[in-house]
Amino acid sequence: MRFVVILGLVTALSAGALALVNQITDPVIQTRGREALAAAVTLVLPGSEGGLILTHDQNGETGYFAGFRNPDTTDLIGYAFRSSSQGYSSTIQTLVGVDSSGSILAIHVLSQQETPGLGTRCQEIRRGETEPWWQAQFKGKRISEVAVDKDNGIIQSITGATITSRAITDGIRKQVHGLLPRWNTEAKGQASRPNRSGS
Amino acid sequence: MKIKEVISKGIWTENPVFRLMLGICPTLATSTSVQNAIGMGIAVIFVLTFSNLLISLIRSIVPDKIRIPIFISIIATFVTIVDLIMAAYVPDLHKSLGLFIPLIVVNCIILGRAEAFAYKNTILFSVIDGIAMGIGFTVALSLIATFREILGNGTWLGNPLFGSSFEPALLMILPSGAFFTIAFIIAFLNDLDQRRKRHDKPAVQ
Repeated sequence: MRFVVILGLVTALSAGALALVNQITDPVIQTRGREALAAAVTLVLPGSEGGLILTHDQNGETGYFAGFRNPDTTDLIGYAFRSSSQGYSSTIQTLVGVDSSGSILAIHVLSQQETPGLGTRCQEIRRGETEPWWQAQFKGKRISEVAVDKDNGIIQSITGATITSRAITDGIRKQVHGLLPRWNTEAKGQASRPNRSGS
Repeated sequence: MKIKEVISKGIWTENPVFRLMLGICPTLATSTSVQNAIGMGIAVIFVLTFSNLLISLIRSIVPDKIRIPIFISIIATFVTIVDLIMAAYVPDLHKSLGLFIPLIVVNCIILGRAEAFAYKNTILFSVIDGIAMGIGFTVALSLIATFREILGNGTWLGNPLFGSSFEPALLMILPSGAFFTIAFIIAFLNDLDQRRKRHDKPAVQ
């Protein structure tokens, strides 16, 4: 009984300490996360700084951003969404920007823990360049073309890291196919409301 | 026992990685770059120092039979604090160290020092032991990371060292590169020891 009391006391004290630290750090972590996501969204939806709408899907787990050129949110640039896929040694999180016609605007790998020197090259920035070369090749590609070259697509896979390359490209393609019908109905809904930007 | 002795034990004669062979798993994983190594080292120094301090402080009231769960609770608390603070203030480093920060809880060095040192020694010595062992771990990690980052990536602390014609030896960044590096360093240290012994012998006779 004495042991139970002592152990209970120790864990209670540690829980108290953790609650305190969490209270201090949690707002900072939340802000950082939001900042990082906002920066990434404007990266894949260039020009959308002023007009972003976050939509949650039915189960509330994943959502997507609709980016507009103007704060009134009438002039649609495209959509940004998160794609997550199982790579070689980690789950790869990618943010993808797609325009309303179904072409990729840009992609941005948010997090990955792939093999250093192989899979991690999906985020490699070559000397003298400002953006990762591997992610840059997605720009302007049609969704239907997004597949690695070994699967008859047009995305050049990273040497020695086909699994990583394939995971990202296939993840993006599947995610877009899941979201496209929703965007189509949304676009129709907007078209049938002519007065939205009328005044 | 002198303070000097505790310090030299932690950094050199009982270096956790090269001598005690403790904490090899995080060593393999976080020595891919010098920046990661230093970040991991600082996290370990913090946890080790504070867990040693607290355990030494309460050692007279901790019943022998439940000391391990108490140690682990204390260690886990400090590790979680480090994890939260790093996530809040150095998010990039936190991201690249990933799972290895929470895994400090099960790092043999921490519990090993709690059990073997802090539980039996005064607060002052325990704190010094924690700092010294932590520095020993950081030095070992940074040394391994230096070899791996230079040979495997052509950079040191993120700064490119060679021209663009340099073809990095990928192997060194991969886990096997860590084994090679550790093996070479330990072989070198053992050789140094044996030379010293051979040198000492005639003097004894």
